[in-house]
Amino acid sequence: MTRDDTWRRTARRRGAAVTVVVDDEPVPACTGETVAAAMLTAGAAFEQDSGGTPRAPLCTMGTCFECAATVDGRPLTRTCLVPVRDGMVVETSRRL
Amino acid sequence: MGRTGTDHNAIGQAGTEHNVVGHGTGQAGMFDLAVVGAGPAGMAAALTAADHGLKVVVVDEQQRAGGQIFRQPPEEFTGSVLRPTAGYGWATGLIRRFEADERLTTEFGWSAIGVLYDDALPGGLCLAVNHPQDGTRVIGARRLLIATGAYDLPVAFPGWTLPGVMTAGAVQTLVKAQKIAPVGDVVLAGAHPLLLLVADLLVREGVRVSEVAFAQNIPKPADLLHALGAVPGHVRMLAETGGILARLVRNGVRVSSRTVVTAARGEEHVARVELARVDRRWKVTGTPRAVDASHLVLGYGFSASTELARQIGCDLVYDSPKGGWVVSHDDRLRTSVPGVFVAGEPTGVAGADQSRAEGELAALAIAADLGRDVSATALAEAERGIRTATRFSTVVQRMFEPAREALGDLAGRDTTVCRCETVTRGTLDDFLEASPFVSDVNAVKLSCRTGMGPCQGRYCEGSVGTILASAREQPIGLGGRFSAHLPIKPVPVGDLRTLDSFLDAPPDAPPDGPGGDGSGAVDG
Ligand SMILES: Cc1cc2nc3c(=O)[nH]c(=O)nc-3n(C[C@H](O)[C@H](O)[C@H](O)COP(=O)(O)OP(=O)(O)OC[C@H]3O[C@@H](n4cnc5c(N)ncnc54)[C@H](O)[C@@H]3O)c2cc1C
Ligand code: FES
Repeated sequence: MTRDDTWRRTARRRGAAVTVVVDDEPVPACTGETVAAAMLTAGAAFEQDSGGTPRAPLCTMGTCFECAATVDGRPLTRTCLVPVRDGMVVETSRRL
Repeated sequence: MGRTGTDHNAIGQAGTEHNVVGHGTGQAGMFDLAVVGAGPAGMAAALTAADHGLKVVVVDEQQRAGGQIFRQPPEEFTGSVLRPTAGYGWATGLIRRFEADERLTTEFGWSAIGVLYDDALPGGLCLAVNHPQDGTRVIGARRLLIATGAYDLPVAFPGWTLPGVMTAGAVQTLVKAQKIAPVGDVVLAGAHPLLLLVADLLVREGVRVSEVAFAQNIPKPADLLHALGAVPGHVRMLAETGGILARLVRNGVRVSSRTVVTAARGEEHVARVELARVDRRWKVTGTPRAVDASHLVLGYGFSASTELARQIGCDLVYDSPKGGWVVSHDDRLRTSVPGVFVAGEPTGVAGADQSRAEGELAALAIAADLGRDVSATALAEAERGIRTATRFSTVVQRMFEPAREALGDLAGRDTTVCRCETVTRGTLDDFLEASPFVSDVNAVKLSCRTGMGPCQGRYCEGSVGTILASAREQPIGLGGRFSAHLPIKPVPVGDLRTLDSFLDAPPDAPPDGPGGDGSGAVDG
């Protein structure tokens, strides 16, 4: 599920255009952006809690783990810390 | 940029050229000093230590130097530069000097996950670090400096887990460094002056800010000046705050005092928030009013990041105005564990000036400890720097100390207190009622699972401590604190295999409090 009314890019000068894949959907991004920032601007959903309720980044500084996802096969990756790379595969899931 | 230890492709062999990686590498590759954190404290410490001939490595999980207040835009955003907040003219110079210094080894993108001890490294310690792609490795050092900063104080209230609720620091970082801005109406609520800076930042980006709600009476710049009297260095910062207030009001932003946010409402995202009047101790007095908003930004102040100190076994002390649990230290910033020093916000949340001053003093103390010549003048100057900064920070800390008891009351029975394990206040209340002899937060943790998830209790310890304190009518500090274990930031299962053969406690330090709760590597 995506929504288009949450975050927008401001500065025009950004990195090169790349695409990351979030839950099988292409998400456009620019190098230098964190995965979380790209997901927020695309309105992509983050992980759900164990009750199936949506969650989203709270701190964007690596302390809360609300933005965690499996990135290129590595679980528990904090998407707010990791810069995007072209072709990166992000899987969100329901927490155990 | 100094030497960078790693390349993202070099999985498993990262840093072999200059570091202890695993066992048996001996003393040769060892650093004199490992610094965790490249904020004002860590940067100042690293440069001062290098000036005294120490071989220094700096680890920070961010991509660039600066820390929270001076978070830089990514290098890829060409032409985007950091504009430091008013009053911090020294920041740009410090960052540039740090980045250009060839003597320093920097490990950006790596998280420090704990300290281990190794018989092969007598007098040294092994810092375990983890990377989102490259996994875990170990860095050997004679001394460690904890300069891990702080994070926004979490406050649990109905709806705080909804997407669209973020901390002030989070929004500041996204706007300033990532160059993205929230769409729709924004309400900011809390009790810390950082809210004003963030509101101003948003307004200047063209974001619609409908209200900034402060729990206390907003001190007028004149009151601040009076309170600060003899601290002329900070007048510019205060003038800036006054200017911001005027600018917000001019832009139609409602700035309310004695108001707290009591709920965030919405289906899958914030759509509305509820704001209520409070008394002098922040207790809700009136019926809440609803305000439409798609983003709620929270800024109640800061908590010191002390998990690394906890894992190592350093003594902590509870000091509410300073930011809750802070790391104990002597006048040269030595912690209770030999070889481990602390600087910046983990000693108490006191602002960038004090962090920088403490970084300098800690580095001088470490250099002296390792037998380097340190001039008495340099030490005296560093101590003077700390005294000046403390005069300001003490006033700010007192003026903005959160009324924790009232904040604890905001969580109702159905409110999620532990975000990771989805534990509600009701579960805690029932447990405390059924177990009248429990008076320690770790006992609550073991039974209710609060603090056992990926954030390791960083976001519920305050609420649990407050709820426990009011149930037992005891001071918050008496309930103790969560213990922390390696990895302090969880990593994928398997990442810790590299560490199998290390000792996990300092040979000459006390073991790490009660705990052993099995929180650690969590399978995603
Ligand atoms: C989100 C936020 C925003 C702030 N904004 C302002 C502001 O606008 N104005 C103001 O006056 N003050 C602000 N402050 C207060 C600010 O903390 C201090 O002024 C100053 O940044 C503290 O410097 P420091 O060096 O002690 O810590 P920090 O600047 O917080 O630096 C600590 C560094 O340690 C790193 N780190 C922490 N743990 C680990 C680990 N385990 N492994 C690897 N790296 C780690 C972090 O990534 C961070 O870069 C802010 C604080 C926060 C938390
Ligand atoms: S948003 Fe908190 S860790 Fe990423």
